[in-house]
Amino acid sequence: MFLSVSKLTKSYNTGVVTHVLKGVGLEMERGQIGVILGPSGSGKSTLMNIIGGVDRADSGTVKVDGQHITDLNDNQLVEYRRESVGFVFQFYNLVPNLTVAENIEVVSNISKHPFKIDEVLSAVGLSDKKNRFPRELSGGEQQRVSIARAIIKNPKLLLCDEPTGALDLESSRDVLSLLQKVNVQFGTTILMITHNSAIAGMAHNLLRLRNGEVAEVTHNSELVPAERIEW
Amino acid sequence: MTLQKRVWRIIKENKGRYIGILILILLGSFYFTAATGIANNLKKMVVKFAEEYKQEDLTFSTDKPIKDIAALEDASGALIETYQQYDIKLPDRQSQLGGELRLLSLSSKINIPAVFSGRGLENPGDILLDPYFYQTQGLSIGSQIELNGKTFNIVGTMAVPNYVFILKNLYDVLPTSGFGIGIISSADIEAFPESATVYGAYFEDRENINAQTTKLHGLLSEKGYSLSEWLDAKNNKRISMPWTNISSMKSMSFPVSIAFFLLSCLIVGVIIMRIVKSDGVVIGTLYAQGYRRRELTRHYIAIPVLLSGLGGLVGTLLALTCVKPVVDSMLIYYILPDKGINFSALNLAVAVLMPVAFIGLSSFLIIRKILKKTAVQLMKGDEQKSKVNFIERALRLDQFKFNTKFRIREQVRSIPRLLFLVLGVSAASMILMFGFTFNYSMDVVMDRGALARYQYPLEYNFKEVQNLQDGAIPEGAEPYNAFRCYPEGRESVEFYLVGMKPDSIGLKMNDMRGNALSKDQVNITYPLASRLKLKEGDTINFVNKLDGKSYSLTIDGIVQAYGEQFVYMPLDEFNHMTGQPFGSYRTVLSSHDIDFDESLLAGVMDARNPEAFEDLAMPTTLIVASVTALAVLIAVIIIFLVTSLMIDESRNTISLLKILGYREKELAKLILNSSTPAVFIGFWLGLPLMLAFGNNLYGYVAEITNLVMPMIVNPLYVLISFVVIFAVYEVTKRLCGKKLAKISMSEALKAGSE
Ligand SMILES: Nc1ncnc2c1ncn2[C@@H]1O[C@H](COP(=O)(O)OP(=O)(O)OP(=O)(O)O)[C@@H](O)[C@H]1O
Ligand SMILES: [Mg+2]
Repeated sequence: MFLSVSKLTKSYNTGVVTHVLKGVGLEMERGQIGVILGPSGSGKSTLMNIIGGVDRADSGTVKVDGQHITDLNDNQLVEYRRESVGFVFQFYNLVPNLTVAENIEVVSNISKHPFKIDEVLSAVGLSDKKNRFPRELSGGEQQRVSIARAIIKNPKLLLCDEPTGALDLESSRDVLSLLQKVNVQFGTTILMITHNSAIAGMAHNLLRLRNGEVAEVTHNSELVPAERIEW
Repeated sequence: MTLQKRVWRIIKENKGRYIGILILILLGSFYFTAATGIANNLKKMVVKFAEEYKQEDLTFSTDKPIKDIAALEDASGALIETYQQYDIKLPDRQSQLGGELRLLSLSSKINIPAVFSGRGLENPGDILLDPYFYQTQGLSIGSQIELNGKTFNIVGTMAVPNYVFILKNLYDVLPTSGFGIGIISSADIEAFPESATVYGAYFEDRENINAQTTKLHGLLSEKGYSLSEWLDAKNNKRISMPWTNISSMKSMSFPVSIAFFLLSCLIVGVIIMRIVKSDGVVIGTLYAQGYRRRELTRHYIAIPVLLSGLGGLVGTLLALTCVKPVVDSMLIYYILPDKGINFSALNLAVAVLMPVAFIGLSSFLIIRKILKKTAVQLMKGDEQKSKVNFIERALRLDQFKFNTKFRIREQVRSIPRLLFLVLGVSAASMILMFGFTFNYSMDVVMDRGALARYQYPLEYNFKEVQNLQDGAIPEGAEPYNAFRCYPEGRESVEFYLVGMKPDSIGLKMNDMRGNALSKDQVNITYPLASRLKLKEGDTINFVNKLDGKSYSLTIDGIVQAYGEQFVYMPLDEFNHMTGQPFGSYRTVLSSHDIDFDESLLAGVMDARNPEAFEDLAMPTTLIVASVTALAVLIAVIIIFLVTSLMIDESRNTISLLKILGYREKELAKLILNSSTPAVFIGFWLGLPLMLAFGNNLYGYVAEITNLVMPMIVNPLYVLISFVVIFAVYEVTKRLCGKKLAKISMSEALKAGSE
């Protein structure tokens, strides 16, 4: 198993104790696409952040490509994120005062064997906009930059938290088909959070979270191309 | 009101930043109050005393008593006072220190004594003493003092305008220890028949003193009086010493403090602007919830007004406590009647209110501008979003490494911030280098100035012109003749024209490259040449200050010198040109003590006693230490403010970089080191700024006091300043590094739309 999560728990104490994750488990093979669905507050982002090594679980284990993430100390987590994980966020999180190319360089700058910037830019279809600033791009374009930034280091695992959450249908399709293309072309394992069950069709694995618990796990063998997703 | 509570919370959240701002405002007010307070109080004491007690413009002696004083007064427009002076060595049993007292007859028209303690002269046998003499001799009011067998009753202490700095001889440099003055009535002084007659003149018309002085000289010469010890107040150290202090104090601190004050206000304005701007969304939200524009304005203006009010007040109060000790220490050698400290209410009000007005107003305008937008516009957060400025857009950085690109972009992101950093660092470096340069220049003047040029250590100045034909000068001594002059049209530049024998060796004269200059030609010292912008081959036209006669000379050589203003020419030509008899001289330079008749001498300068030349030197180490401390403080505050602003403005980016796997060290390098070029440029900008500022300042001081101070930059001190500034930068970076570490990854994870 490339990614296996088991019995993951997490709670916050803000005067009252909120149990956000109550023993969540998840398994994915290398090169698969996984989608996490669930209502707001169900713990999707929390789960993904723990897998990505930016948050810590209270108990349970996360294993990525044989590495026990939950056992790593802070410095080791930095190395893990740096080597293995790519992030795509709902609100793109581009550095506003860097150009498109420079935003991508933010990551290639610290990776061992990055792809060429121009290759990645042409893969996301933004070669002609490499000197623009993020503000000068549409939301869809910004998200494509953010995907380019995530994949330039050829990560083992690409984590996308509601990548289409701020986009219209048209742009969402662009972004999703780009992710699908990345998955096929580079064999990148992708885990994606969404509110939108229509997107579930393009995933090999579907995990439904409700209230910090796994409500449903589904496996798809027939993937729907992103271009044909409707909502 | 809850909004008001928020003010405290905002301040508490960024304590360091607000303390930094507070110190800047405080320094501005402090300097303003201290500088104006010191200058005004000095001025009040010295100038008022001079005006109210009619300080003489001129002192002189004649070969025979002037007969018709009243007619001379009418003709010259001057008040002329005749007084007697007589020096008495105190008998040993009366003096612990072997004192010497100069008795002066009580004057009535000018140089009127101001009684300190006790009462004025009333009865025969009353005497007033100067307070230092009174103190050091351990005398008391009501007791008696015996002088040459005559008993005087000490009735009080006093200050006299023509002895503010008590020098025994007119051309002395330092006071003679144990020497003091006493005033007795004209009738009483007749008991000392050998007393000398001295004149003082005060011109009723306070303009054109120089011209009136020349006119009086002409009138007296016409009537056949031979004049000696003719000295105007400006060159009379007994009078001019404290004036030198005032003008240098005023010129050094007043414009500096104003500039510094405005700069600190400006800096604070910039920071407050950023704070209010970054609060745009909050303003919009409050606004949307029904807060009125006025209420919100009041809320946001509270921080700047609070800070500037507090800073202004504390700075002013601190300064108030400093003025008296500083003034006292500057006046310690002077005898002035009123040493009470006053403050101008206007200046105090300005010092307290200026920052409030300046910062309050700029904040008000910014707040107004932001509040004019609709709540919806504000809540979108457009105010917070960094628009890409024209420099960022214009930058093409493709050829640089990523880290370099990132740092450049981080810096140019906010032009005012960058400007603030560069200017602030150059201000700090400028202050630092000025302190060092000032100190070093003083050292150079001490080492290589006048003192170093004297091959013969003793200089005897005669009251009247002597002649070699009346008696030769001993072996190892040389005659010189000189008078004071000023260049045609520039009375503020005074110098000596000196005639010297071409084979003189008493005074070293090298050209700018260090080669010996011929003394059989006209040579000018470098400071004078550069003040007058003269070079070899140029002609200098000048006026004899004494009689107003004009001369002109062609310059043959420039003498390497520091601070000295002289023109030298061969003695015979000097005497010929000025119409003096062959062999005339007024000064003797000697390698050894010569037993001249003391009554002929106006003063002796002994270069074997270097302290005599240190009247220029202030407590320089203290100045350098305080200036360094100030510069370091300013640098720390500015670098800290900029770095913490930068970190705050880049929180999201920093948080993101952490998520993306940047290590702490990499982040620190990327963010904190981005200011290095700005600090570097700021530092090097400080050097020309310092030179421009220093030359300006010294030029101003020279115009008023005729004292020329060189600015000599020592590369070693530049290097030390560089090290200091960069050490401050490193330390401040360390401090801010903690702030960097505290930013958590969740900030970017939860970030809303950019
Ligand atoms: N730092 C925190 N302190 C306390 N509670 C938190 C914290 N972070 C998250 N929570 C709580 O944990 C729960 C799960 O949050 P999470 O962000 O994982 O939800 P989500 O499923 O991603 O929701 P959404 O779809 O709205 O993004 C929420 O109820 C939230 O209030
Ligand atoms: Mg979420």
